[in-house]
Amino acid sequence: MKYLPLIWAAILRKPTRAILTLLSVMVAFTLFGLMIGLNATFDSVAEKARADRIFTWPRFGGDGVPLAVARQVAAIPGVKAVTAMNFLPGYVRDPKNQVFVLMTDQNVAKVFGDYGVAAEQWNAVWKDRTGIVMSQFQAERWHKKVGDTFTMISKQVKRADGKTSWDFKVLAVIEDMPQISNGFIFGNYDYIDKAKPLADQGKVNEVDLLADDPATSSAVAERIDHAFANSATPMQTITEKLSRSGSDFGGLDIKKITGGIALAGMFMVLFLTGNGIAESVRERFAEFATLKAIGFTDRSVTAMVVLEAALPCVIGAALGVGIAAFLARQIPGLMPAGFGLPLPTMSPMVMLWAGACAFAVALLSAALPVLWLRRMDIATALSGRG
Amino acid sequence: MLRQIWIVSALNFKSLTSRFWQSMVIVVGLGATIGVLLSMMSVTAGMRQAYANSGDPGRAIVVSQGADSEGQSSITRTDADVIMDAPGIKKDTDGRPLADRALNMGVPVLRNNGTKGYTTLRGFGPKGVALRPEFHLVAGRMFQFGKRELIVGVGAQATFQHMKIGDHVILPNGEWPIVGSYHTGDILEGQLIGDTETMLTALNRTAYNSILVRLTAQDALATFRKAITTNPALQMTVTRHSDWYARVGDQASGLLAVLAYVVGAVMAIGALFGCLNTMYAAVSTRGREIATLRALGYGAFPVAVSVILEGVALAVTGALIGAAIAWAMNDGHQSVWGQNIFVLRVPPSLVLMGVSWALAVALAGGLLPSIRAARRPVVDALRAT
Repeated sequence: MKYLPLIWAAILRKPTRAILTLLSVMVAFTLFGLMIGLNATFDSVAEKARADRIFTWPRFGGDGVPLAVARQVAAIPGVKAVTAMNFLPGYVRDPKNQVFVLMTDQNVAKVFGDYGVAAEQWNAVWKDRTGIVMSQFQAERWHKKVGDTFTMISKQVKRADGKTSWDFKVLAVIEDMPQISNGFIFGNYDYIDKAKPLADQGKVNEVDLLADDPATSSAVAERIDHAFANSATPMQTITEKLSRSGSDFGGLDIKKITGGIALAGMFMVLFLTGNGIAESVRERFAEFATLKAIGFTDRSVTAMVVLEAALPCVIGAALGVGIAAFLARQIPGLMPAGFGLPLPTMSPMVMLWAGACAFAVALLSAALPVLWLRRMDIATALSGRG
Repeated sequence: MLRQIWIVSALNFKSLTSRFWQSMVIVVGLGATIGVLLSMMSVTAGMRQAYANSGDPGRAIVVSQGADSEGQSSITRTDADVIMDAPGIKKDTDGRPLADRALNMGVPVLRNNGTKGYTTLRGFGPKGVALRPEFHLVAGRMFQFGKRELIVGVGAQATFQHMKIGDHVILPNGEWPIVGSYHTGDILEGQLIGDTETMLTALNRTAYNSILVRLTAQDALATFRKAITTNPALQMTVTRHSDWYARVGDQASGLLAVLAYVVGAVMAIGALFGCLNTMYAAVSTRGREIATLRALGYGAFPVAVSVILEGVALAVTGALIGAAIAWAMNDGHQSVWGQNIFVLRVPPSLVLMGVSWALAVALAGGLLPSIRAARRPVVDALRAT
């Protein structure tokens, strides 16, 4: 600690250089935070995915498949519980305010028990066909609270009465699931089913299920695909684990991309800080010689140089990750509502990585100057010919 | 004046070797920035290229009004007959119109990396191939009309599992064999193709998605469009095929382009600070040299310009290195984004974009240091150690 004034003086020798270095490091770590934070989000989503949950839907969407498919799925060995649902896609007031309601049957609590809808909240929905349960995100987005009416327009789902608007009653607002960034709305299957023309009734868009044993869920998924492969209604089945598997972003390997970007940023910073510290040491070569002459050990001189290099790195990293955390919170406001871009999270892991990288950059940039100082010939350096 | 700029700049460049590592900060900073920017943009550029290749200005596509994509559009059999009789459509050698009723739907696939996604299954009518001179069968044979068979693009074969000739694709009421593979050099290469009418029956559908026509001439679009849009029985939109795919390509790649620009801009800001740092250092280490030149009668302006030129040269070098790395790492690689299968591209236009970004950074980063260099009193600088 007693070296701190010395280091501080060294940094303040060239304030412009110090500030520019700090800013550059900060920007690089902002990018680092956003990129590695995105990985952290993907990881946490993948981790929270339930190993025993499986989704299956018609391979060829259309208007859905007969409700009987759900019963057939339930009869497949290894299946514990099954729920069927219809999608109600549409918008609120303006087509750009896209919204989506999952109209589920009464078995939904068995399959989505972890979504935090209480039994009495479900019962309220089953009693009132038009009832819905909204997650906090959706409730805030449409400014709804319990008891409000929620009206949406759907051009995709035809009603028997020819209307395009659907009225719902908000019966409960529950907490969001962290892995579902856009929130969710659950409604009553009977409402959408009975509102459709007779010919369209009794159809489902998706069947979700639990496997008896999480270890067999991939096998169960394949069994379902196989069972329907040659039928009139082939199904596409995927385990929740696979559908949330981290590094898949529309087929692009997101982790490779974010990792590459973060690395490029670090490479840039390494050159910058390395040069800065090298210059700073070169300019003060005689000073270091003096220090060594009056008895400073190689170790303490090394420590001074490393600390001088580390200071902008560590402060810059802290500021950068801070800015990244701030920006990550602004992203939802900048993107069109309902846009499914995952948000970076500054998990402890991200901070740890940022800290580790900051120290690695500091150590690497200090390495060469430290070597010079250890090998310096004090007499030559003092004479100013070094 | 120009001569002075030339002399001072030449002097700068000759002394660059003594400031090698310092200068490398700019080169590496811009190299990393442009490398990242162009690598990300290679996805956008590849996708746009694939879509641009798909669109032919000599063709027009008809979709139902309000449809943004072929998938959203729906054209009944009756309407299709009316559309195919419209004026402006070129006739084939057999006297029938060069027009094709197309089907377009998503089909689940297993990507090579084990993830699940979709690609497009397209229906061709009898004139599907005649309409597309870019279509070439490369292996196996063409599917037969009336039979439940498919052919697959070479891009899809490279991207997905189970796409070899002889493999089967699950469709309603049975699995369809793949009997051939084709090359088109555009977005269709990542898709599967079968017979429209057979697919309609299998899917229990009654409507087509779109109709593609060959115009009698490129300027026949107006005639054709007028015939379709003035017919009160039809609610259709007619678009030149190249315009259609340019828009679809922009839509498909828009999000990635925005992400690339955001990431690139953040890195460019980081590189800018590095550039400022280096240029300030360069000006200060060469303070005496610059002062000597000023004392010899060189103007402040040539000195300032020479400083900026040095930054620009370093930045452009960095940008070109970054572009070369981005090109080597990406160009020509098969890639996938959602339902789009394409080849990554780093075309000259992207390299030019990278160089202009570098120019902007260098100008911004060289301006303040150059002013400081030019303004510094000669006597002070000469006296300074």
